[in-house]
Amino acid sequence: MAQTAVKPVKLVSVPTNWKTWLGVVPFFLFAVLFLFLPSLRLFTASFTSPEGTFTFDNIIQLVSAPFIVNAYKLSIQISAVTALGGGILGFLMAYSVTVGGLPKPLRSALITFSGVASNFAGVPLAFAFVATLGRQGFITHILRDYFGLSIYDAGFNLYSFAGLSLVYMYFQFPLMVLIMAPALDGLKREWREAAENLGASTTQYWLKVALPVLLPSILGAMILLFGNAFGAYATAYALTGGRIGIVTIQIGAQIRGDVLYNPGLGYAMAIGMVVIMAISLAGYSWLQAKTERWLK
Amino acid sequence: MSYLSLSNITKQFGDTVVVDDFSLDVEKGEFVSFLGPSGCGKTTTLRMVAGFEMPTAGRITLDGADITEKAPNQRNVGMIFQSYALFPNMTVAQNIGFGLGVRKEPKEMISQRVEEMISLINLENHANKYPYQLSGGQQQRVSLARALAIHPQVLLLDEPLSALDAKIRVSLRAEIRAIQKKLGITAIFVTHDQEEALSISDRIVVMNAGLMEQVGTPFEIYNFPQTQFVANFVGSLNTANAEVSDPVKGLLNVDGVQFITASDIKSRKKGDAIRVSVRPERFSFAFEEKKENVLDCTIENITFLGSVVRIQVKIGEAKFNMDTFNNPFLDLPKIGSKEQVTCSREAVLVLDE
Amino acid sequence: MSFLSRLRRVPFWSWIWFLVGALYFILPLFATFEFSLTWDPAIPFKAYQRSFADNKFWETFIYSNVLAVATIIFSIVLIVPTAYWIRLRLPQARRIVEFITLMPFVVPAIILVFGLIRIYSTPFSIPFTDIVFMQPLTNFKAGTNILIVSGYMVLAMPYMYRSVDTGMRTVDIRTLTEAAQSLGANWFVIISRVILPNIRSALLSGALLTFAIVVGEVTLASFLGVNAFGPYLFLLGQHRAYEPAALSFFSFLLTWLAMGLIQLVSGGQGQAAGAH
Repeated sequence: MAQTAVKPVKLVSVPTNWKTWLGVVPFFLFAVLFLFLPSLRLFTASFTSPEGTFTFDNIIQLVSAPFIVNAYKLSIQISAVTALGGGILGFLMAYSVTVGGLPKPLRSALITFSGVASNFAGVPLAFAFVATLGRQGFITHILRDYFGLSIYDAGFNLYSFAGLSLVYMYFQFPLMVLIMAPALDGLKREWREAAENLGASTTQYWLKVALPVLLPSILGAMILLFGNAFGAYATAYALTGGRIGIVTIQIGAQIRGDVLYNPGLGYAMAIGMVVIMAISLAGYSWLQAKTERWLK
Repeated sequence: MSYLSLSNITKQFGDTVVVDDFSLDVEKGEFVSFLGPSGCGKTTTLRMVAGFEMPTAGRITLDGADITEKAPNQRNVGMIFQSYALFPNMTVAQNIGFGLGVRKEPKEMISQRVEEMISLINLENHANKYPYQLSGGQQQRVSLARALAIHPQVLLLDEPLSALDAKIRVSLRAEIRAIQKKLGITAIFVTHDQEEALSISDRIVVMNAGLMEQVGTPFEIYNFPQTQFVANFVGSLNTANAEVSDPVKGLLNVDGVQFITASDIKSRKKGDAIRVSVRPERFSFAFEEKKENVLDCTIENITFLGSVVRIQVKIGEAKFNMDTFNNPFLDLPKIGSKEQVTCSREAVLVLDE
Repeated sequence: MSFLSRLRRVPFWSWIWFLVGALYFILPLFATFEFSLTWDPAIPFKAYQRSFADNKFWETFIYSNVLAVATIIFSIVLIVPTAYWIRLRLPQARRIVEFITLMPFVVPAIILVFGLIRIYSTPFSIPFTDIVFMQPLTNFKAGTNILIVSGYMVLAMPYMYRSVDTGMRTVDIRTLTEAAQSLGANWFVIISRVILPNIRSALLSGALLTFAIVVGEVTLASFLGVNAFGPYLFLLGQHRAYEPAALSFFSFLLTWLAMGLIQLVSGGQGQAAGAH
């Protein structure tokens, strides 16, 4: 090791004084400049009319204008459906590679794949699904040619609610796998053995011990999934070109759109989103704390 | 026929033999300990009684019924784990009532039994607490109550005290023993701690590398170890190389010093190399006239261990430890001084390797 | 053999769930790949040849990679000392900093970008005067680059902080630091030769997740008017059919390679999950 002339730093742990806080100043400065100030600015901007005067109109529209309320409804529905669907599928997959007894190598393969897929959003994902379930898609053709089922005649449309949900699921359930695999590892073998030893069947063990223990993690993860879908913009935009009226697309259209243009309203919608996200994050933190307490 | 009987149990994982031809009969109400180093097969044997492992060969019978292939949840044996294994989502009372609940017992019966168990372990004020709110010792008592609540035919304890502090370990071990005696329940206790096994058991099974080394009461195991392993593992032991000088009279030569032993060495020949063992507390200073094993020695080192003072002496070229009880008026010799120590011929053990 | 243990031996349902999920993963990728090959049956990789022959592709792709590298470097410079200082000296700041690192989850990219534009499209002036000491960041190239890298740092913050913090927890940074201090090391030596090497795999994991987020990112890049890979791919998709499919598959492979690298280097320990 290189010898340096500098004195070794002191080992004594003194009570924290204001100088200790200097160490985190760069971080806080960054957060203020690039996270809090912009958010705050949007908040004030949402009280501005297109003419630049102060107004409550935007906030009032937020809860009264049907197209805005519908946008929120649609966003919440898509987020809830994909959080639930992705949550269930993700949980089952995480189960299969952890306590489910599948060979070990499958686990690391799945975790790696989930890491990729949970970040595989936006334009490439949209193209992938067009190639799969679009009118000329791979699966569409297989179903038509081999099973005589034309999904588009049956009412399916990739650019609709159902289609977008299927696309979102692609990054939703890998995220669930990533969160649930460690949680499932936290199930101690002894709990299962103790339950069996006391006469419980496998079903009784899952209903009375494993699922209750996992419930906060599962709900917490699903809240994250909800937020994950709620804030998504690029995927929906790339897939539908802005034709589906979810909140994020409406915000983009209000602020930058050619037809609709009312930035103040867009900012108000953004604040509405922040509020919903903040509520779900609070729920997530609460459940997280509960789980940590149990599993100490 | 005995109450719990393991006959010729063998367990293999792949090519590794973990338990080899293990046979044991346990009487009703008996407290038996499996003692041995980690990896000796003691826990695997216990888990086969619980049903978590299936023997590769052999039978297990309990109260006349063959339970070898019964599922663990059909066996009615209570198990206590090293890590407590309390269900974190349930209160103390719910944990204790779990076994009865899954048996669909009536509610009143469950709550009555839970109350009974809670007072048995003296946790009356903690019935509605969650495991994370309890200390380790309290959690293990709850786990004991949970296992006992189902009226198990046998109680299995897998190193239940290993995760606890030294003081609590001693008090809880007395409590476990008292409850076991009071209920008259049959118990098997796995431990790697010889003091624990000696203090709590009716009988001890010493195991090593999947094999049963010796079965006996704590008194027998400590005072009459049959193998070198048992003597070494239980209590402390001095061991030295020796040479047989007279097999009939039992005379041995340890580095030029003559020892006499009561062990039977008639089958050996003069000049055979053997190992000789003496427990440290069997040595004493030779103050009065003794006829045998009066040995000249040099004091090498003195270590203070609390209730015991350990003195290292050099006899010939071999070093031995000698333990003597501490008291404030003890007149300890100086390091380097020449003394004489002695031990009876029964204390000089020649053991099977 | 008991029913229960037999059941545990053949994980029938586990296989079913796993295969269902695996199909969901693989089918869209396979379909994309298959589609990208159908352009011209005579030249199977025509879509790839055309894509890679386009200068715009290389320009935007390289630019996005530069942005990713910049984001990773600045994130490490910002987050490693912060996380380290909190573990070592300032545990009372832990909750607030963790809260802040979760904030990007509350403020999604589409909102963040408009906030950034709102603030930094006005000139910096001394309050209550007309004296302008800096032009709006959105008005010049370097300014836009600062904005977009900062935005990406915010988006990557939850991943980066969690990776680094987990890495520091597993190697017990406090004891390592005290050991190094007692041997006479100074802060520079401690950080560069003790801390960083020990959280190497955590850093790599955070870095590659950041990489995966930045390279294909569209929202920030398009609203800030930056010629990055994401907007390029998006525009391409409006006019062409086969090239976007080829590039989508290519970008997936690239991300996958990166993630495989995490597994390889960290032995499967470095995976961080967090808000998307």
